[in-house]
Amino acid sequence: MKVLIVEDDFDTADFIKRGLEQNGDVAHHVGTAQQGMILATSEEFDVIIFDRLLPNMDGIDAVRILRGSNVATPIIMLTALSETVDRVSGLDAGADDYLVKPFDFSELYARLKALTRRQPLKQEALSLSIGDLVLERTARKVSRRGQALDLNPKEYQILEYLMMNPGQLVTKTMLLEKVWGFNFDPKTSLVQTHVSRLRNKVDKPFETELIKTIRGSGYILSDHD
Amino acid sequence: MTNRLKTYDFKNACLFTGVIFIICSALFALCGTFIVNSITQEQELELAELSEELKSQYEEHGLDWILDDLELDDRPIWGRNESLERLDEHDNLFKVVQANRLLLGSQLSFNADDNPTWQTISFDSPQQFDVLTIRIDLGDALHVTMLQPKSYESRFIAAAIWRLYFYFISLFVVFVVCTILFIQYQNQAKLSQTKKALIEIAKAPDSTRLPVPKRASCDRDIAESINAMLDAIADLHGNMKTMSVGIAHDLKTPLSRVANRLQSMQHDINDPNLIETHLNHASNDLSAVISTFNNLVRLNSIESGQHKEKFVKLNLSELIYDLALSYLPVFEDSGRILEISTVNDVICFGDADLLSQLICNLLENALEYSNNDAHVWVRLQSHTGSALLQIGDNGPGIAKIDQPHVFERFYRADISRSKPGNGLGLSIVKAICQVHDARLDLLPEQKGAVFNIEVPTSN
Repeated sequence: MKVLIVEDDFDTADFIKRGLEQNGDVAHHVGTAQQGMILATSEEFDVIIFDRLLPNMDGIDAVRILRGSNVATPIIMLTALSETVDRVSGLDAGADDYLVKPFDFSELYARLKALTRRQPLKQEALSLSIGDLVLERTARKVSRRGQALDLNPKEYQILEYLMMNPGQLVTKTMLLEKVWGFNFDPKTSLVQTHVSRLRNKVDKPFETELIKTIRGSGYILSDHD
Repeated sequence: MTNRLKTYDFKNACLFTGVIFIICSALFALCGTFIVNSITQEQELELAELSEELKSQYEEHGLDWILDDLELDDRPIWGRNESLERLDEHDNLFKVVQANRLLLGSQLSFNADDNPTWQTISFDSPQQFDVLTIRIDLGDALHVTMLQPKSYESRFIAAAIWRLYFYFISLFVVFVVCTILFIQYQNQAKLSQTKKALIEIAKAPDSTRLPVPKRASCDRDIAESINAMLDAIADLHGNMKTMSVGIAHDLKTPLSRVANRLQSMQHDINDPNLIETHLNHASNDLSAVISTFNNLVRLNSIESGQHKEKFVKLNLSELIYDLALSYLPVFEDSGRILEISTVNDVICFGDADLLSQLICNLLENALEYSNNDAHVWVRLQSHTGSALLQIGDNGPGIAKIDQPHVFERFYRADISRSKPGNGLGLSIVKAICQVHDARLDLLPEQKGAVFNIEVPTSN
């Protein structure tokens, strides 16, 4: 993965860069919106990390300009402002995702992966499958090893999101955002409870476990160990 | 801090008095001129009438009749001294002239016009006479010239006005200066009392207040409104204090745990397994601190009302039902029962994310504080113009003493702060209700904690 980091805070940039390099990815860092825009238009990147508050220019304006000049690279915005209103304006400007500082590196990485792996085919595909697990979108039916599974709407949505990002870490916050539409963090184990119920239906009756828990981070759906 | 008169008090008094003096003088001048003018005009009219009468008398009866009319028996000729005497005694002087020959009357020479005219004539004496003159042509080259000094009435009134003006103004100026100084003195006394009281208040702003006069007056209104303002500021101050204590406490506990973990890591530096455990715990504790700050930022942004711009019409029934349904397994796993009963299609104007948080926070409050086998319910009913959402449990409820404070920031019924959470959940609930113009109540006299929220609807 080749990542462009536009961030004026060098500590944060360094933290992200080191994390990415440890995972074998390539990271370029620039400190101003202008440099970021020049690089984003002249080089190919898999994903761009754009800070919201940059010297001389609002990150939102920079993203709007990039989208205006047909740069289609996925963009994730970082901000210290945790507000829905800002989140919405960031997404309106053309960013693909939005993350509030301070964040966990695994959270950022999971989101970067989700952005780069999101192939158009997966979005539109009529059916998704992992190993012997099949999800049919038109009929909203899920089956494993040919055996139909009875999922409630939330369980179905969780599984659908996990299957759209196979082998990738999906965090609790991502599920809260995508499945429940929450931009805040409920204290209790809402996500854990639903995932555990989902696992009881998807994994428990079968030998191989598909939904794996990464403690403190989230879940990975994969048919490999 | 004295209540003595200040230099500016004297300046003000002089200024006020000066203004009043000018206004009074102008009024006197206006009224005096008007009165004196009307008297002299009357005199002119009378003289004009007299001249008309003389003319008609002459036409009918000849010159002798006129002599009768002027109370004269023969045809006297008055020299200069006689003329002046007569002017003084009889208030009039005249001469009858025919073809430049003086038939009778004064030898003094003076000119006159056909209309009554005022003139100032000295007749070669040191005295000046303000006289009204007229010339009456009787025909046959015969004419009468008359002059009248200013009437006694007019002279008296003019003098009276001048005297009145002098006495009045001199007394009045003294009176006005004294009155103004007295009022200023009283004001200074009141002001210095207020200043003293304010200095006392500054020493203990939460408890000391301005003394309120018993009698209804402007001073009482001001004292009451200043006291009301001080009460409001004291409330804010109290909130700030609770908040800073809350922040300090909520930071201190997890941060000292992190410090402890760091020490333990130093101790267990050679054991990778233990290091990982310490790291996880330290990271969780720091997450708690960050979460507290996130909630504070969120609370402030909700209170600022910026979300109102994004309000849309939404189906409250669906939102509540879906959310409650999501929580059903969470309650089930905790051994509690969640009962959901909502009416359909309640439409309101609001922000779905905020309303979701409102319901989540109340449900999590129930999860946190209700009995382990509690019965918890979410009910939504509609009325005309509003919908009533009730989220409650059957025990143990909130102690009476804590009830008025549950919506305050960082307030926690459990003093030890042993349970997780930061005491902001219900403050956020309150802020969300306020921004939606919804009424939030914690019902009194209940077995458990029962919250009623009345949301305005737009069905």
